[in-house]
Order: sequence, then C-alpha cells, then structure tokens
Amino acid sequence: MTKPAKDEIHYILLKLHSLTGIVPVGAFLVIHLSINSLRTVGVWPFQLAVDALNNLPFLILIEIGFIYIPLLFHSLMGFYIIHVGKTNMFRYRYQRNWLYTMQRLTGAITFLFLIYHMGTTVGAKLWEGKHHFEAAPFLIDILNGEFQTWQGIVVYTIGIVSATFHFSNGVWGFCVSWGILIGKNAQRNGAIVFAAMGLVLTFLGLATVLEFNMNPIPVEATVAG
Amino acid sequence: MRRRTAASKGRHQKKRRDLAASGEVIHKTMTDKKITFKIKRQDKPGSPSYWQNFQVAYKPFANIISCLMEIQRNPTTKAGKTVAPVTWDCNCLEEVCGSCTMVINGKVRQACTALVDNLEQPIALEPMTKFPVVRDLQVNRTRMFENLKKVKAWIDIDGSHDIGEGAIMPDSDRAKRYVMSECMTCGCCLEACPQFSLNNSFMGAATFNQVRLFNLHPAGSMNKEERLDAVMGEGGITDCGNAQVCVEVCPKNIPLTESIADIGRQTSWQFIKNLLVK
Repeated sequence: MTKPAKDEIHYILLKLHSLTGIVPVGAFLVIHLSINSLRTVGVWPFQLAVDALNNLPFLILIEIGFIYIPLLFHSLMGFYIIHVGKTNMFRYRYQRNWLYTMQRLTGAITFLFLIYHMGTTVGAKLWEGKHHFEAAPFLIDILNGEFQTWQGIVVYTIGIVSATFHFSNGVWGFCVSWGILIGKNAQRNGAIVFAAMGLVLTFLGLATVLEFNMNPIPVEATVAG
Repeated sequence: MRRRTAASKGRHQKKRRDLAASGEVIHKTMTDKKITFKIKRQDKPGSPSYWQNFQVAYKPFANIISCLMEIQRNPTTKAGKTVAPVTWDCNCLEEVCGSCTMVINGKVRQACTALVDNLEQPIALEPMTKFPVVRDLQVNRTRMFENLKKVKAWIDIDGSHDIGEGAIMPDSDRAKRYVMSECMTCGCCLEACPQFSLNNSFMGAATFNQVRLFNLHPAGSMNKEERLDAVMGEGGITDCGNAQVCVEVCPKNIPLTESIADIGRQTSWQFIKNLLVK
C-alpha cells in the first residue's frame, strides 16, 4: 500500500470519533444516568453507588483514560466535523437533514454543559477539597443546592436532553457508518429503537433532577472507614 | 403483458384530443399570460454573479429548457434591455443524461423535467452552487469524473492475455446493480449534501454508489480492495454526515444511503483486514 499516511490517519481519526461516542463516552453516559437515577429510590442507594464508584482502585487513571481523554478527543473531532459541514436544513427540509443539524448542535451544547457541570462538581471538589469526607455527601450537598433554582433546572434539562439526544442519534449514526444498519427498513427500525432508548435515558435523567428538586434531603458528611 | 383494448385505446386518443384542444384554448385566450424568470447569471468563471429577470409568453406544458430556448431567441430582460443570451447545458431532454441539472426555485433538479405549470413564479434559476460556474447556468462537473477515476468505476477486461469468460451473477445482484447503474452523474446528491463543498475533497454519494456497483460485479470485485482504499482517506466514506438528503433529491431514486452504509461496512472490514493481515 503506497497511499499517503495522511489518508489513513484521517480514516482512523474519524472512525475513532465514531467509536469513542459509543465506548467509552456513550457507555459512561448510560452508567452515569442509571446510577444517578438511584436517587429516585432514596438517598442511601445513591450514596452507596456513588461511593462505590469513588472508591474504585486507580480511579484517577480510569477517569483520565476512559472518560477525560476519550471525551476530549470526541469533542475536538466533533468541532472539526462541525467545521467541515454546512447545514442546509432550511432549504432541504427532510427529517434526516434536520437530525444532522441537531446532532451537531446538541454536541456543541453538551460540550458547553459539561464545562459547567464539571465546574460545579469535579471542579468544586478540586478547588475546595472534600477534606477527608466521602464524595457522595459532598456531591449531594452541591446538587441539593443546584436544583433549587429554576436556572439550575433549565441548565440541567437542556444539558441532559442534548446529551441523550446526541447519544441516541449518534448510536444510529455509528450503526450506519460502520455498516451495521444498511437497508432503508433496517435504518428506520434502528432509528425507532434508538429513539426509544434515548427517551428512557432522558426520563432517567430528568427524574433524577426532579427528585433532587422536590426532595432535597440533607446528608451528614461521612468518613470512609 | 396486458393488451390495450380498442375501447381503452379510443379513450386514450380522446383524452389526447381533449388535452390538445384545451391546450389550444389556453394558448389562444392567454397569449398575454407570461412566465416570469429570475435567472442568476455569471459572465465567466470567477466573475461576480448577478440576477436578471426575463419574461416569456406562456405555453401550456412548457418546461424550463423550452423557456430558456425562448429567452435565447429573444434575450431581452423584463426591463427591456437586450443582453447576452443565457447559457445552459442540456442534452437528452428526458432526465437520463443529467446535464441540465440546476437549482430551480431553491431545489436542485433537472431543468428538462421541471414543468412550468408545476412551479411557483417568478421561477428562480441558479447554477449549482457546489461546482465551479463556467457561465450562467453551466457548471464544471469534472470533479465527479475525477472521483470516478479515483475509485476505478469500471471493470477491467482482458489484459495482454485472454482471462476467459466472466462469472455468472445472481439475478438478485443483477437487480440491485441495475438500480445503482442508473446514476447519470448529474450532481443533485452532491449539490444537496451539507458535507460537500467547493473547497473540500468529499467524494459524495454518487461516487460511493459506484464503488458498491462495481464491487458487486463478479469480475469487478477483483479490484474491490483498490476501490475501498480509494474511499478510505480524506474526502472518503468517513466524511459522510448521514444527513441523507442525497437519497431524497436523487432523480433516479437510487438507494444512495444504502450504498453509503454498505461501503461503510466494506471499508470497516477492509480496515480490520489491513490491520491484521497486511
């Protein structure tokens, strides 16, 4: 193969962008929303799950290797992709063309939301320090406050809907660009299945927000024993 | 095959007579009725474009080409100024050559099958925006031809020696290939694609469809890997954004999105194969 390496790199980078959207970034979103939705069952299951994750061995390596680097890569490649295309959804008004534009828009919104979301949680943890307390009480305290204002509710609703839409439509895009869904019917049925999955994830996310809003139970700071 | 009975033949002829008669009536009573055009013009490649309005006498069943011919005979703008005639490309006049593709009332399509009676006036005519303009409504679609060459959109036959008869093809493949082979390189799919632009190297749906067409041919599949390698770089299959406008605007109803997804599958396997075998 005497092809210039630039072409191979281009192919690999775009394939990786597609793949990282599913694992680990998409998988993280599913786990994150599922674990958080334990809050709707009670504070204690939520606290247990959050602390279990926070006490994983080599947590910092897992966070960097499986969340931060893939997420940053996916975002940067995403902005490159946004830069390459030029929407014409108002001229050619077809459903898929609208979804094409929405995919790019929600990607950018989710990126901005994540900066905010990490600023108030991970950022706060880094800057203020959680002292020697477990992570869960610290986070619950932040979230209890955050979801009491309507601005907080609006920001989180937009963020969650953007992320779940981007993920479910992105899984469809992954299945098409990797050639898993080929025929017209297969692509349509796949879209229905992924839309349903997106709705479930959205429901989980918004239910958690609502639970925090309506039922802000304060918790005692605990120390890992 | 169903035979046409004498009665239905009679009905058919009557219908034609009626149509012709109504046409004459329209023609007689509406000679002062006009068709208004708003045409985007450009004198030479790279020069600035400008709009001019034209009016031609209404004729029933007129298409855009017949109106452009009318303007060519009498190149006078609506304001009464005589200008250089509007130039355009056309050839077959039955939507199989693709050369009269232009943007009509904002949507890309062939001018020959764009009937004036079905269009809102003033009818806006623009050259395609994703190809360099040669003059007025003529564009240069060399890029499409270059892409066909890049992906070897042909089947190699005998070289220096006879390679014998080709393999037989399953009829299901033949049927699939027939639909794909209807591509006339008109450029509609590329004009409507949000990923295709004048300043990038995206190959677009038409090219990927050709890769699938020739890879599906038993003899053509001998060059399968070369074709796949050609679409696995910048401007290749990974640059598709799945907006799927291509399949909506394709005048030949080619399942372009199916072709794109299939090339996605073929290139994914090829990539894994390149990683593990080469």
